[in-house]
Amino acid sequence: MNKAISTRLTFAVAILSLLIFIILWQVIAQQGLLVKNFPGSFKTIGSLIWWVSDPFFDNGPNDLGIGTNLLISLRRVLIGYSLAVLVAIPLGVLMGMSKLAQSSLNPYVQLLKPVSPLAWLPVGLFVFRNSEITGIFVIFITSIWPTLINTAFGVASINPDYLRVSKSLGASKSTTIRRVILPAIMPNILAGMRISMGTAWLVIVAAEMLLGTGIGYFIWNEWNNLSLENIFVAIIIIGFTGFILDQFFGFLQDKFDYSI
Amino acid sequence: MNKKSSKISTSNENYSHLELINLGKIFFKEKKFIDFRSKGNRSGFEAIKDINLKIEKNTFVSIIGPSGCGKSTLLNLIAGLQAPTSGKIIIDGQAIKGPGPDRGVIFQNYALMPWLTTIQNIEFALNTVFPAKTKADVKERARKYLRMVGLEKASNKFPKELSGGMKQRVAIARALSINPNMLLMDEPFGALDALTRSYLQDELLSIWRKNKVTVVLITHSIEEALLLSDKIVLMSSGPSAIISEEISVDLERPRDREKIEQDPTYLKIKMRLEKHLLRETRAVEEVT
Ligand SMILES: Nc1ncnc2c1ncn2[C@@H]1O[C@H](COP(=O)(O)OP(=O)(O)OP(=O)(O)O)[C@@H](O)[C@H]1O
Ligand SMILES: [Mg+2]
Repeated sequence: MNKAISTRLTFAVAILSLLIFIILWQVIAQQGLLVKNFPGSFKTIGSLIWWVSDPFFDNGPNDLGIGTNLLISLRRVLIGYSLAVLVAIPLGVLMGMSKLAQSSLNPYVQLLKPVSPLAWLPVGLFVFRNSEITGIFVIFITSIWPTLINTAFGVASINPDYLRVSKSLGASKSTTIRRVILPAIMPNILAGMRISMGTAWLVIVAAEMLLGTGIGYFIWNEWNNLSLENIFVAIIIIGFTGFILDQFFGFLQDKFDYSI
Repeated sequence: MNKKSSKISTSNENYSHLELINLGKIFFKEKKFIDFRSKGNRSGFEAIKDINLKIEKNTFVSIIGPSGCGKSTLLNLIAGLQAPTSGKIIIDGQAIKGPGPDRGVIFQNYALMPWLTTIQNIEFALNTVFPAKTKADVKERARKYLRMVGLEKASNKFPKELSGGMKQRVAIARALSINPNMLLMDEPFGALDALTRSYLQDELLSIWRKNKVTVVLITHSIEEALLLSDKIVLMSSGPSAIISEEISVDLERPRDREKIEQDPTYLKIKMRLEKHLLRETRAVEEVT
């Protein structure tokens, strides 16, 4: 089949399925088939347009524009996530290279990795007495494990030929790390960073319900207002933002794909 | 570094370029943190033992032996990539302590860095070995060696865009670019088709003639060893492999692929090598 036709067809199918979904949603809600007062798609779309047309208003912490809340959440995620990546990559390289570091750190990693990052929220509040820093702290803990583990795994499974070449040329340890190991494990690092970002974006919504401000708090607030359609608006926006973030890493991964 | 070692060798022509003395390598099992079964005695696998060999300057030596006998191990020791368990490696009269740019190594599977282009792969070697050289100098030199192996057009291609033969030529250019006195090659042409192989063999010979290097080549091809070498070293089957024979190949150069096969000396050595390999391979089969 012609490629242009096939993309156009895919696009048409996507639009069609969206239309069917919107109509079904509206019909089910209008007939009260699910529960009474369940917002229909038309009402939700109306809210979405209302929120998106003036996204950055600020009438105090309980009445912020959705864009303002989104930026607050994104800022927390980006700060906590960046700090986590800055710690995870060097630590992962160390764990991959040194048996001692591996055996002394791995027990903690294995023990802490399966714990929901939300469990750290009270700890953060107790230590920092500040919801902003606590949010960043929770995202830091969330983001660190996937990047750390992927980096360490990448180093441990690096093609020994590259290291042999480097060694045979008499390269120093720092040259080997900078010019051989780091580029060689770039795909692993990016895969870890992508998972970290995905989890961080999941966790921030839950964490913010307890922290005040941010897109997660927006949902909590609208639940208190019993405004389900606004919650749907938030869900759509969270989903869309998460998708964009994920695509960005997908793009980076393609750039650093060395496979033949 | 390079200048120094070549100076030593010219003032001491009576030294062999490379000398292996009672060389042995035992691979010890890595001890796990929690391993109740292997208490105490560190048992190891002796790959090679009592290797004694002298290689003269600017000669071409091939090492041949049954599969798994320890050829790569021996080459890694000479390259300084692994430390011997016993014995010494003397180059230009001095015991080596580790790897060095006086030896260029060519690995079996090319070992090009996939995130670097062809020319960047060579520049990596040059930058590592000659950190004082300017960027322009390095680029110029990398180009020169790419030209030498006929790949200047592919200089901005990535390894995944090259054929096996082209990759191996880049690896050869990289190894030569640092101007080594010795070229160590581990079955460099094993994975190539017959035509590419014979083309690269000719290229290697002309490079060897022009560049004045000592070549140690590991191969499992008797024909390749006979076509290229001044001396062929035969290894016995492992474990604890030793050098069982050294054969001088007194055939005139340049050697013609077709004509050489009718040469009685060639045929005599070939028979001897075949017999040896058959016997040693049989020994491997019986052990396993
Ligand atoms: N790092 C290692 N640890 C343990 N044993 C090893 C190690 N490297 C090699 N050996 C063993 O030493 C022996 C010699 O291996 P080596 O790779 O040198 O053989 P080879 O002659 O190059 O084989 P081939 O012809 O297949 O390339 C083999 O039995 C191998 O299993
Ligand atoms: Mg081998």
